[in-house]
Parts: sequence; structure tokens; C-alpha cells
Amino acid sequence: MGNDLRNKADNFRDKTVMISLQSVSKSFPRSQETLPVLNHISLDIYQGEILAVLGPSGCGKTTLLRQIAGFDKQDSGSVRMDGQEVVKPEVKRMMIFQDFNQLFPWKTVLQNVLFPLQVNRIGESDAANREIALQYLQLVELSGFEDSYPHQLSGGMKQKAAMARALALQPKVLLMDEPFGSLDALTRLSLQDLLLKIWQETGVTIALVTHDIQEAINLSDRIAVMGRRGVAGFKEIIPNLLDRPRVVGGGGYSEIYAQVYSLMDFRNENE
Amino acid sequence: MKNKDSYGKKTKTRLLWIIVFLVIWETIAQSRTFPEAIFPSLPVIAKALGDSVVSGEILLQTGWSLALILQGLLVGLAAAVLLSSLAVRSRIFDGLVDTLTAIAHPLPGIALLPLIIIWFGTGTLAILVIIVHSVIWPMILNITTGFRAIPPIYKETGLNLGLNQVRIIKDIMIPASLPYVLSGIRIGWARAWRALISAEMIFGAVGLKGGLGWYIFKQRVFMDTPGIFAGLFVIVLIGIVVEDCVFAAFEERTVKKWGMI
Repeated sequence: MGNDLRNKADNFRDKTVMISLQSVSKSFPRSQETLPVLNHISLDIYQGEILAVLGPSGCGKTTLLRQIAGFDKQDSGSVRMDGQEVVKPEVKRMMIFQDFNQLFPWKTVLQNVLFPLQVNRIGESDAANREIALQYLQLVELSGFEDSYPHQLSGGMKQKAAMARALALQPKVLLMDEPFGSLDALTRLSLQDLLLKIWQETGVTIALVTHDIQEAINLSDRIAVMGRRGVAGFKEIIPNLLDRPRVVGGGGYSEIYAQVYSLMDFRNENE
Repeated sequence: MKNKDSYGKKTKTRLLWIIVFLVIWETIAQSRTFPEAIFPSLPVIAKALGDSVVSGEILLQTGWSLALILQGLLVGLAAAVLLSSLAVRSRIFDGLVDTLTAIAHPLPGIALLPLIIIWFGTGTLAILVIIVHSVIWPMILNITTGFRAIPPIYKETGLNLGLNQVRIIKDIMIPASLPYVLSGIRIGWARAWRALISAEMIFGAVGLKGGLGWYIFKQRVFMDTPGIFAGLFVIVLIGIVVEDCVFAAFEERTVKKWGMI
């Protein structure tokens, strides 16, 4: 089995590393002590892949993503993107949160997408920016809702709008923190399909944090499994080479599911 | 739609009660229980108001008062936004603003009048100082509360989208805290109106113009009770118009439309 894994991992050897985490540690101060969350975590994210970071609640996967985004500073270790140290949030690494509130409620859907384009002078004119915004709203299948305010949208539509806003800035990587975690099961599946379509059309690199094993299997090229606490680091990084589109019960699906499931500390935490 | 319905209902109920008050008033006035100089009848008040409008005096005084209050509110609002932005950004400023507010907020503007007269005289500047004092502290309290209540996700998203610090304040923090800012302006407006009328009564006229407060005070000197009521009527009218036509309409077009309240 170990050999098998190593052979599969060879598939990624010719990939370009886009983001590299070296021995990243992060702890948060509590009233009395400090709570270590990440302990010497190392990870490479390859250009063009979908990487799923999978782990139970509270394992530190969100903290990990926030270090990559540049929202928080790690205590030690380094986070590099294309060789440069990550020190602050930047447009080339767009974060998508689980929280529906990431859209600005005082702007319409179109204005939400348009505003960052104007701020960053992406298009040459306002008309060009408008064109780009409309194009990305179409990509996420939100055409017709341009003039709606976020509070008039369903949760799934809000996440689509957030994706359009992020993608319109043409980031190199999308950092997604359980983006579909608050959606009902059916909407979640349809947004997973949409995300795959977007990934195929734009070629954007995606790092996705989730606690949903099926989501990780359906979407990713690799699944980085974290234990109960990130202090233990990654249990294993599993290459997920199933043919797309992936369906539950398809060839190899249950094997990879069982493999991932066994790595997550669901059962043995009390022992 | 539901909002509009309940709004229409509220207006109807209000109108009904106002009519009831007016009828009671007129009945008492007509019964001659009190001398007319103390308790004038509605037609007499209406005539006093009409005369004063025709002569232009009440309009002039009202315009003068409104111009002052608007200036005071704008200065107060700008200063409050500035101080609140500094306070939520730096701990030192937070302490300073907190201390200043704790000291100055409980002081009624009118209590400061004697001091303000000594320092600033009895001109327009003195009135502006009182108005700004009356509005700035409650506004700071509201705006800092509003700023602190902003979900961190807005700011983080803003930073991720490439916004600089000025844009974060202008394009994120102010709209995100607009419900608080608005209620701050509402309180500020009410305080300013009170402070202004009191100050005008005490300061008297600067040249021809003494404002609405002076107008009312002057009518008492002449024992022109209907004139006093005419002045009070204008104050009430302005209060209702500003609340319903300015604040409510602004709210309807912003925070309500955005689903923020």
C-alpha cells in the first residue's frame, strides 16, 4: 500500500509548486496558557490543482488557510507563494468564506463584483469593468440577479456571487474555507459541480478546506487529512486520481472513502 | 409593501389623535375658562402664524436656526467620524476619546452657556460651539459602537479585495455601521435642536436675526401668547418633517433597502 501511494504521488512530481508552507506553527493565547493550533506544518500547493484540506472541526484547518491568505501571521515557519513570503492579504490569493456575510449588503450583486475591479483598475474603463463583472456573473450562473441586493438572494446564490467577485479579479489561487458548509445538501452538490466547471474553464488553483469527506473526494486532486488537532500535522496527503466526473459508488470511490475515513480520528479519540 | 402599509396606518392613527387634541383644545378655549391671553383659540393661533409667515419674520428666523443647526451637525458629524475612526484603530486614541466622552457627555450644553459666553461671546460662533458640543458626544458613542459591531469579515474581505485604509473606512466601515451612524445623527439632531433653541433664548438677537428660540422668547415679552404657540407649532412641524421626510426616507433608501435593519 505504501508503495502504491508513492507511485501515485509521482504523478505530482512534475507539477509546479505555487504555494509552499515550511514548518508553520501558530498558537492562540487563551486566558491562562497558549493554545497551539498548528505545529510545524509543511505543505505544497501545486499550480492548477484542487487541494482539499480535510479534518474534523477545530483541527486548525481554517487557521491554516488564514495563514496562506495572509490574514494572520504565523508564529514561526514560512508561507511562500511563487518564492515570495506572504505577509498580507493580496488579490492574487482570494479567500472565500463560509459566512454568507462576505458580500457587502449595501451593494447590489453587480456592484459587489464591479467595485473591486474598479479599485484595482482591472479593466481599462468602467465599461470594460462592467463587461468583466457581467461575464463572471454569467460564469457562476447568476445572470438576471445583477441588481439584487445580497439579502434578497439564497445562501447558494450568495456563495456564487462571492465566487464571481473573487474570480473576476483573476486570482492565482482561490482559498475556500468550507464555502458550501452552510448550504443544504442539494445546493451543495450543485455548487460543487459549478466549482468544477469554473476550475476547468479558468484553470485557477484551488485550496479547499472542508470536513465533508464526499466533498473532498468529489472535488480534489489531493486530500490532505488533518488529525483531531493540527498540532499533529497532516496524517497523510492522499492523491485522488479518480476519473472525473466522480460519482458516489463509482470505481475506486469506496476505497478512497474508506482510506480517508480511517485517517480521521472519529473513533479513537477517547482511547 | 408591509412597511408602507404599517407606515400609512401610523400616519392615520396620528392624524386621528391630532384632530382629537385640536377639538379638545378648541372646546376649552371657546368655553372661556381661561383668559384668551393665556389660552388662545385655534383661529387666533393660526392667524398669528399666518401673519408671521406673511411678514416673513418666522420664516427668516426659522431659516436662520436651520442654517446654524445644519452647520453644527455637519461639523459635529465630521469630527465624530474622525475621532471614532481613530479610536477604533489605536488604543491611545481610544483612551483619549473615551475619557473626553466620559467628561463631556454628561454636561448639558446649557450648563456650559455662561462659560461659552465668556470664551466665545454671544455670536454665531458661540451657538455653533454649543451645537457641536451637544451632538458630538452621542454621535461618537453611536459611531464607535457601530464600528465595533462590524463583522470582521467585511474588513478582511475588503483587505483581500485590495482596499487601502482610507477606502476601508469610507467604503466598508461607514456603510457597514450606517444603522448606528444614522441613529447617532438622529440623537444629535434632537440634542442640537434643544441646545439651539435654549441658546437663542438666552443670547437674544444678533442684529435682526435671533432664530426661532429668540422669536418665541420675544413673543412672551409682548404677552403675545398666540405668537408663542405659532413658534412652538413651527418647531413641532420641523421635527415631524425631519423625522418622517428626511430620516425615515433616507433609511428607506439605504439600510432598509439593503436589508441591514
